[in-house]
Amino acid sequence: MLAAFVHRNRRLIPYALMAPGLLWLLFFFVVPNVQMLVFSLSEGTLRTGFTSPPEVWDVANYPASVTRFSANFANSLVYGGLATILCFLIGYPLAYAIAFRGGRWKNLLLFLVIAPFFTSFLIRTISWKIILGDQGPLLAVVRDGLGLVPPNFSIIGSPLAVVGGLTYQFLPFMVLPLYVSIEKVDRRLIEAAQDLYAGPWRRGGLLVGALGGAVVASLAFVGLGYGRLAGEGADPAAVGAVALAGAIVGGAVGATMISQAFIRVTFPLSLPGVFAASILTFIPAIGDYVNAQLLGSPKTQMVGNVIQGRFLDQNDYPVAAALAFLLMAGILVAIALYARLLGTDELTGGRA
Amino acid sequence: MTDIERLLEAPIGRRRFIAGSGLAGFSAFLAACGPGATPKPTEAAVTGPLNFANWPAYIDLTEDESSSPTLTDFEAKHGIVVNYVEDIQANEDFFATVAPQLGAGLDTGWDIIVLTDYMAARVVRLGWTEEIDQANTPNAVANIRDELKGLDWDPDMKRHFPWQSGATGVGYNVKSTGRDLSSVADLFDEAFAGKVTLLSGYPDTFSLVGLLLKERGEIEHVPAEMSLDDAQKVHDYIKPFVDSGHIRAFTGNEYLQDFGSGDTWAAMVWSGDLASSAGEDDRFVYPTEGSIIWTDNMLIPKGAQHKRAAEAMIDFVYDVANAARLAAWIYYISPVKGVADEIAKNDPELATNELLFPGPEITATQYPQPALADEDDVKWNDLAADLEGA
Repeated sequence: MLAAFVHRNRRLIPYALMAPGLLWLLFFFVVPNVQMLVFSLSEGTLRTGFTSPPEVWDVANYPASVTRFSANFANSLVYGGLATILCFLIGYPLAYAIAFRGGRWKNLLLFLVIAPFFTSFLIRTISWKIILGDQGPLLAVVRDGLGLVPPNFSIIGSPLAVVGGLTYQFLPFMVLPLYVSIEKVDRRLIEAAQDLYAGPWRRGGLLVGALGGAVVASLAFVGLGYGRLAGEGADPAAVGAVALAGAIVGGAVGATMISQAFIRVTFPLSLPGVFAASILTFIPAIGDYVNAQLLGSPKTQMVGNVIQGRFLDQNDYPVAAALAFLLMAGILVAIALYARLLGTDELTGGRA
Repeated sequence: MTDIERLLEAPIGRRRFIAGSGLAGFSAFLAACGPGATPKPTEAAVTGPLNFANWPAYIDLTEDESSSPTLTDFEAKHGIVVNYVEDIQANEDFFATVAPQLGAGLDTGWDIIVLTDYMAARVVRLGWTEEIDQANTPNAVANIRDELKGLDWDPDMKRHFPWQSGATGVGYNVKSTGRDLSSVADLFDEAFAGKVTLLSGYPDTFSLVGLLLKERGEIEHVPAEMSLDDAQKVHDYIKPFVDSGHIRAFTGNEYLQDFGSGDTWAAMVWSGDLASSAGEDDRFVYPTEGSIIWTDNMLIPKGAQHKRAAEAMIDFVYDVANAARLAAWIYYISPVKGVADEIAKNDPELATNELLFPGPEITATQYPQPALADEDDVKWNDLAADLEGA
């Protein structure tokens, strides 16, 4: 009876199977977002009451939010971007080492990567507050032991602390997808490349490494507020020196530690992982507000902090909702550009 | 100072008092168990659990800080469990978490919440509280200090009873600062750059810095009468200190952690917290410019499931012996008559403590927070938000 019924309506089976997921998305994604969209076009606060569409269409919330909170958007973009780059620089070698050299320790190493997730996000951030604190172990070495920084130097409250916190929090999001795609690379292809004279990268590595190192180092220096390019205390010489140092390190790594087989075979084959990992890292990092709240200062607040404050302190739902939509739109555009840049067609089409 | 001398310093006062009052509390407990010792005024039974949301550092603790004598005794007396949660770090934040339910006519899950004057007034005006049945709170009706009664937003004590009063002033770690602070102006001393925090929101920070500017002649009004222009002046005064990094953060009660870790040297703080919950080098001072006086009030939110238990708790903490024990631990100003005498019996030194019993020279320069209409509240909040960077 039932079998016959199912058989007669078998064309509907895929829809029945999709139904739970679709309903979930409808109730927990579409409905709240429509609600947010309505809020973002409304006027008023929680206490004064809201006037919503169709009575008013307060489109001005959007341009007003952008101009008023542009500094927070800039912070989000810079800190989220830097954290993603740092995660990549730390995460790729780590994932590579686990995948290719992990041997029988592979599972243990992977477990260690995700081990921090067994404690709460908040506890981890607060322990960073202690580690980076004025009386913490890091400054005890750098300030008291080595005397590298002045006695009233603090890390807490600086962009460095926020980016450091973000990098730490989201590193596993970078490592795991990278590991999965590096692990899948067929070793025989690498051997074949080596047989076909893919030796050390040398000159190319020196060039690319130096360029990359210089760019990343100066980005970090300026983004973390040490370059002060924008302010009156601009110091191009310092930026130049930092870029040079980055170039030397990057060049050395590129010339001596990276082979052509890696550049021509392993890395291209792991690109799907790079794409997934950087998106998985960038999206939560740019929207995060816990790190900026706990490790930052009033000057390092990100868009997430503004959204939180507007929702929870000012009860200004319209501006908060507008900001949330702008952030979402910004992330979508960034991902679209990034996908175009890396060529997801090729990635999903499967080059290997 | 030798170790022994240090041991004899401040904390002992509190401990000695607890030892003394423990007996008093116990005998009160016995008396309460005896037949007819306390009048049983009402039909409805006290049912639990009592869900109690309060601020950190606002309840007495045992020596090992594992439980609270007040709550333990209350549980024993009424045979119900108290879920006491230190969930309120700032009035605005907590309001935001309960406002949607209250606005929709739903139970918040709390039976007692504790909010500062202006926020309590707002919640009462919105009609979001249950009426307190005064037949169930005879102690509170009899023992509340007279000057706390007759507020325009609840003249007959039908919607609230004060939990504690306190002041906003200046806190500092004397080891870090290397000197004693005495004024709001000291918070802006260059020597403490990057080690100073202020309180989030406008009611404390804008009032206290307003007093500083008033003393300098830049503002004419006391905090409760400050205009939006005055608030703008306060904002403009603080802003450069935020930009230069002098002000490290705007906090709620979490300044306690920052004093503990040594990251904060000087801060705007609430009067009793450092004495009850921080180290021995952490001091509170009523600033020379004046301080801000406020009262935190117990409210029963609309739709509370255990209203009768909430009333029992209100009554319990207005018992003089219980109130004295509580005030002696948390170092705030008790709303209960006769607490001074009760404390003097156990610990005469504590009875002269300026945190619990500010003298006339202090109360003369204490000012209430501004109570703003909704429109101004939004504008002041915007000014505060601009300082806080978000």
